[in-house]
Amino acid sequence: MEVLKRTFDFSDFPRTDLCVAGAVALFLLIFPLLPHSSFAMATMIQFLMFSVYGMGWNTIGGYGGQVDLGKAQYVGIGAYTTAVMMIRWQVPFWVSLPIGMALAVGWSFILGYPLFRLRGHYFAIATIAVSLVLKDIFEAWSFVGGARGLKIPLRTDMPSFLYLQFREDYYYYYVILGLFFVGLFYINWFRQSRIGYQLRCIKDNEEVAKSLGIDAHWAKIKAYAVATAFVAAVGSFHACYNFNIEPEDTMSLDLSVLIALMAMLGGAGSLWGPIIGAAVLVPMKNYLGAWFGAKAGLVGLDLIIYSTIIMVIAAFEPRGIWGLITRLRESRRN
Amino acid sequence: MALLDVQHLGMRFGGLQANVNISFQVERGEMVGLIGPNGAGKSTLFNCLAGVHNPTEGRILFKDRDVTGSRPYAMARMGLARTFQVYVATGDLNVIENIMVGGFMRSRSPRVSREKAESLADKMNLAGLAQERVANLPVAAQKRVTMATALATAPDLLLLDEVAAGLNPSEIEQMIDLIRWVHHDLKVTILLIEHVMELVMKLSHRVLVLDSGRLIAEGEPAAVSRSPEVIKAYLGERYAAEQRGDIGPRTSV
Repeated sequence: MEVLKRTFDFSDFPRTDLCVAGAVALFLLIFPLLPHSSFAMATMIQFLMFSVYGMGWNTIGGYGGQVDLGKAQYVGIGAYTTAVMMIRWQVPFWVSLPIGMALAVGWSFILGYPLFRLRGHYFAIATIAVSLVLKDIFEAWSFVGGARGLKIPLRTDMPSFLYLQFREDYYYYYVILGLFFVGLFYINWFRQSRIGYQLRCIKDNEEVAKSLGIDAHWAKIKAYAVATAFVAAVGSFHACYNFNIEPEDTMSLDLSVLIALMAMLGGAGSLWGPIIGAAVLVPMKNYLGAWFGAKAGLVGLDLIIYSTIIMVIAAFEPRGIWGLITRLRESRRN
Repeated sequence: MALLDVQHLGMRFGGLQANVNISFQVERGEMVGLIGPNGAGKSTLFNCLAGVHNPTEGRILFKDRDVTGSRPYAMARMGLARTFQVYVATGDLNVIENIMVGGFMRSRSPRVSREKAESLADKMNLAGLAQERVANLPVAAQKRVTMATALATAPDLLLLDEVAAGLNPSEIEQMIDLIRWVHHDLKVTILLIEHVMELVMKLSHRVLVLDSGRLIAEGEPAAVSRSPEVIKAYLGERYAAEQRGDIGPRTSV
């Protein structure tokens, strides 16, 4: 009962935050009813996907302070589980989703145990390395289609909610919006739970955390598993939404960096951070990328912009946009 | 049986022997002081007891169980809490949340540990600072936070690491009262490292003196402060003369 209450308890936020959050939630719910282009719809779906990626990353990367740059491998595990099961054994999306999450989480426990013996930059580099190794394995593995990847064939009984195949994008939109809200409420519970506080203490000072009875190594592994479950779920969705998956787009380093960047830009270690980050970065990525690439012929300029953002965050406000907002508020109060 | 029983403990870092053949006991309900010059091995001994270092020789018995080489979190769960000399808390936890993390060791429920943290903060004069970041607090308040956080784990034995360092005389008086309250009302056994003699002599039932990694004296505060060996190694002639009343106390801080 107490758990349920905390899941929906946002009372520690100021009223302005809750009004803004309510307005955004309302907008998200009615967006498909408003006039929009198909490009805008695709951007919104990507925004929701990256919000959920970022929320997941935020558990270990934000609250736990462990900069994880290898989340794409778990996107891949989720996506491939769903695609393989659907193509080979006609398994519905809603069945393969939890299986993909379970496989990814299992793999994350195996990797997390040695990975969290490392700290700081060594940890970050190791996460990149293991993720790229898994990508290479998938590229060489013919069972999952190798480097060309897999294509989920269209079903004759389309549209099908069971297999997540629709003609119109707004069905996909509502599915990922559902995941988004489940994720948001889960993180709201998580940040007020014992593990949430313990992780923040580990981030502050690991020696102090250990002296307070916290098994820091195990706490990090648990948070890493939670983050993994989030990204694997979105990975499964990605497979159905795109029909077409290959190692290069589901397991690449670019994706790992983007996932971390969403949360870091918006504000690592805050509830709204990843959503703010995704709201800024995804439209920028889509619109700027399309504009620079197609019209101005400046392919890759968007990458320069990302890296500039990373440097600016690192130098001026490690807590991201949310940190800036918090700082403004505090200075206004004094 | 003693609550804490240290037997022939030795700790060597490469060529440096930081602790040599140290044996002592702490009974339940005692308040024991640990003094000695800088580099005597006091902090190393604390770290061995708290599980940070794995001693190279000897055994540590806590509550009659051999806990030699246990990990820090395991020691904490067994009922041995510690404070930190420099309480580095740069992150985003505020005072009350810091204390809550201690409470989470005994309870999963945020409500229970928040109530516990609030009652501790209340009694330790931290209630008005509950929403502040620890890094923004004055030293005396930071020391109280590190104590409150350790106490929230409901320990049987509390290791206090220089909780009076950097405090002014009136703050030291308050700290003495606070430690007495912890010892008497919360029924916590205390082992404290301290350079502030006033606090050690007023509080300790028994004092252990370390020098160059060895235990050179053990006994009641008054007896220890008269021991020639201790005066030579640590207290100094001036302190001894002050205590005898030959000269007045130093007035400078």
